[in-house]
This record gives sequence, C-alpha cells and structure tokens, in this order.
Amino acid sequence: MRSYRGQVAIVGVGETPVGKVPGRSALWFNAEATRLALEDAGLDKAQVDGLVTAPSFVAPFARMSVAVSEYLGIRPTFSNTLNVSGATAAASVSVAAAAIHAGLADTVVVCCGDNMLSGLTRDLAVKALVESRDPQYEAPFGLLVATTFALTAQRHMAEYGTTPEQLARVAVVTRGHAMKKPGAQMTAPITVEDVLASKLITTPYHMLDCALVSDGGAAFVLTAAERARDLRRKPVYLLGGGESYTQEHIFCAESITTTGAAISSRRAYAMAGVRPEDIDVAGIYDCFTGTVVMMLEDLGFCKKGEGGPFVEAGQITYGGRIPINTHGGMLSYAHPGLPGGFFHIVEMVRQLRGEAGERQVAGAELALCHSLGGGFATNATIILGTEEKG
Amino acid sequence: MTGQKPLPPIDDDTRAYWAGLARGELLLQHCRACGHVQFYQRALCGRCLSPSLDPRPASGRGSIYSFSTVHRPPSAEFKDDVPYTVVLVELSEGPRMISTLVDTPPETVRIGQPVEIVYDRVTPEITLPRFRRAAAPTAG
Repeated sequence: MRSYRGQVAIVGVGETPVGKVPGRSALWFNAEATRLALEDAGLDKAQVDGLVTAPSFVAPFARMSVAVSEYLGIRPTFSNTLNVSGATAAASVSVAAAAIHAGLADTVVVCCGDNMLSGLTRDLAVKALVESRDPQYEAPFGLLVATTFALTAQRHMAEYGTTPEQLARVAVVTRGHAMKKPGAQMTAPITVEDVLASKLITTPYHMLDCALVSDGGAAFVLTAAERARDLRRKPVYLLGGGESYTQEHIFCAESITTTGAAISSRRAYAMAGVRPEDIDVAGIYDCFTGTVVMMLEDLGFCKKGEGGPFVEAGQITYGGRIPINTHGGMLSYAHPGLPGGFFHIVEMVRQLRGEAGERQVAGAELALCHSLGGGFATNATIILGTEEKG
Repeated sequence: MTGQKPLPPIDDDTRAYWAGLARGELLLQHCRACGHVQFYQRALCGRCLSPSLDPRPASGRGSIYSFSTVHRPPSAEFKDDVPYTVVLVELSEGPRMISTLVDTPPETVRIGQPVEIVYDRVTPEITLPRFRRAAAPTAG
C-alpha cells in the first residue's frame, strides 16, 4: 500500500486564547491561529499554497477555507473545507499530508476556529446540534447528540460493568492536566463526587461528564519532510493515518461499544509500523468521559471492556501506561465545536518537541491523536513522531 | 415558551413508511433479492443495492438495546417532556431504531427489557412510533 509515512511534517503550531473570548469572529480565530502557527514555523504567508479548514457553526460562509484564505490575504492553489464532524481534526491533517505527498501543494495550513460560546447562546448551540440529527428518524424523539453518545456508554456499562465513578475519573484526571495548562477554560480541581453530583444531562452523563462550550482556534503548518529539516522548529513527522466511516445513524451501527476507531487506528499503526505499546502520549477526543473509556480500548491501549478499570488504576496520567490529553482536553481546556480536536494535535506536537513545560511527558517520541464525531459515525487517527521512521 | 416540535418531512423514500404508521403498521423493507431486512426506508437495499423491496408490517415487538434518560431538553419544545427516556430498540426482526418510551418510569428501565410499539398520532399525516414495556419477553 502507498503511504505518506515520514514524508510530511508539522513545522509550526498556533492557538488563540480559548474559553470566553467575546467580540471575535470565527474568521478571526482561524486567522489568528494561522498567524501564530506561521510565526512559530518561521514561514511567511507567501509560502503557503494550501489551506484546509472546517465550517463554522456561527459564521455562514459556504466556502470557509476560501473565506479564511481571503481574510489572511493568501491565494492558495489547494483548498478544502472538510467536515466529518468531530473527526475533522485528525482527518484534515491526513488530507493536507496527502496533498503535499501528491504534489498538489508544498506548504499547507490546517486551521479551525469558532466562537461557539460567545457567538451562539448555549441554547442555540444545543439546538444547532439537535438539528444535525436525522429529521425523520431521530429529531422528532428529542435526541441530543449527547444522547447518542450516552446510549453507547449505557450499553458499555451493561456489557462490561463500567461504572459511573470510572467515567467520572476521566474528567477528574484531565481537569488535573488542565490546571497545568496556561489559559485553560476550567482550572478548579474537581472530585469524582463533584462529577456525580453535577446536573444530569442525559444518563449516564452529568454536566461534568460533558465537554465544554468555548471560543477558540488552532492551526498547524505542514510541509514536506525534506523542507522541514531546514526550518526553525524541530519537525514533528506524520508517520501514519487512518480513518473509518461506519454509519450515519447510531441505529445502523453494527456495534455501539466497538467503534470505527478500531479500524482507523489499526490502519494508522500499520502505516506507521508501530504498535499501541510504543505510543508515549495520546490526544483522545473527549466529547464525553465514556467516549475516552471506549477509545482507550479501540485504540489498543487496553483490552475491550477494561477501559473503566484502566482509568481507575491511574493509567491515563503521568506515571501510568499512557498519559492522555495533557492540556486538559475538551472536558477542561476548550471545546469550540469542530476546533475541539485540533488542540489535542497542538498539544501532541508540543509534547514531541519537548516544549510542554510542567506537562511534559519525559522522553516522548511517539504520539497518537484520535478524533471522532457523530456518535462514532466518524473516526480518524494520526500517529506523530520525532523521527521520520518512527 | 414551547413551540412546535420537529415533525418528520416526508419524501418519496419514506412516504410508505409514514402512511403505514398512520394506519397502525410499522413497515420494514424486506429485500426480494437477498432477503435483507432494513430500517430505515430507502429506494434500494443497503446490502445488495437491489431496488426491489417489499414493505412488510413488523411485529412491533423488540427489546431495549440501550437507553438514555434526557434531563436537559435539546430545545424549548421538549422542556415539558423531561425527563424522558430515549431508547435504541432492537426489533425482533433484527433492525434497530430510535424512539422514546411511554408509560415507563425512567428508574425502572434496563437494557434487555422487552418492549412493544405504541402508535402516537401527532397529526393526521404523522404517527410517531413509540414504545412501552411489554408484559412478556419476546423471541429474538
């Protein structure tokens, strides 16, 4: 199989302030993150000939990648507005890498930004999400996106004995990580009891089992590995990528406790030539606590059904098997909608460059990022490394 | 302020399905070419792409494959309904569908419980398929 393994590198990252950032548009979050990523890479915007972004929930642009390019004053020859819901983050890195590997572009900006918190009221944000459900078979029954994910967690609890306390532990651990990340939206320490005492949203999920609603944007710059070596930052190489699109409706899923993440990650590991046990640190899309538990299994960090005890045993933080979401993730750092998963990638790049400060995972050489969406309708995995050949 | 809840927009793919519900029948499509039974309604078989599909009434019985009780309504129209229990029902014919439970206290709901269909007439055109706990376990 053809492969982009080691052919493309992330050479710059940028992120805007996150949380409540009133008065800024979705375009600004995209552009500001891009400006910072180019500055980080030491590249001029004139060198950018490709741009990939995702649509905004708030801004009405039909061609978001073109609108962002115009705002930045660039005229790329490769442009893509990608939307595979939450999986867009990792998937857009693969799209950019494929474009570079295929010769469609030399230097591609991947960015995403939105103002879900300030631009949309919380009620409107939730309404926008419910309206993304099928109008005939789902929306008439008052199905929240959160409920779709809750159905999977409920079934996981019944099949494998996963407990509400184990789910809550994911939020507690990643809150601890956010406390060390400057600018994180939520930094007050929480306990398992706090999570279980927070308002019920859709069982088994409480408010603190659910990702935040935020403003914010993130960007990365990708270029060919041979160019990356001459740039100012230590290149972070893209070693593997995989995606999986298993169904649109949750009721058409073959299984709701084993997901397309098992497929996307298997493809990514195969391309990278590495195994789950080789990965040092991971960014896992954490729209809900139970999502993380299931992903730890499907990504191969523990056996199917053992995600709950794995979390409980302290395996997802420093000193454990695989520290995850060292920036705090979408549960505590920020979740501005589609940009939510992009911050995981920025954080993994910082980990591999050894720039994560007091969040640094010692000796991190291989990182995995997984993003997903639509009640596990979409899954995308990428594997990043400090060396071209892993 | 509670407005109109979202009603399904009927199209050519689903006209027969909604007409069936309006007369008290839950139709599943049986493929005449490969025998596959599917939900939801399409113009072709999702397994073999045959356009030859036979809509047949389902038993209306099944079991709870999973559930979630909604405490925070997705929009103002659902505010008076909370808490309500969304169910992923596995029909005895095989396919699964999303619905809500009626006449069932949320704290008594468990995965695996048998359920049966309730036809909830919302407008002359639209009858929503809801479910309630069934007395006896069903086959499958």
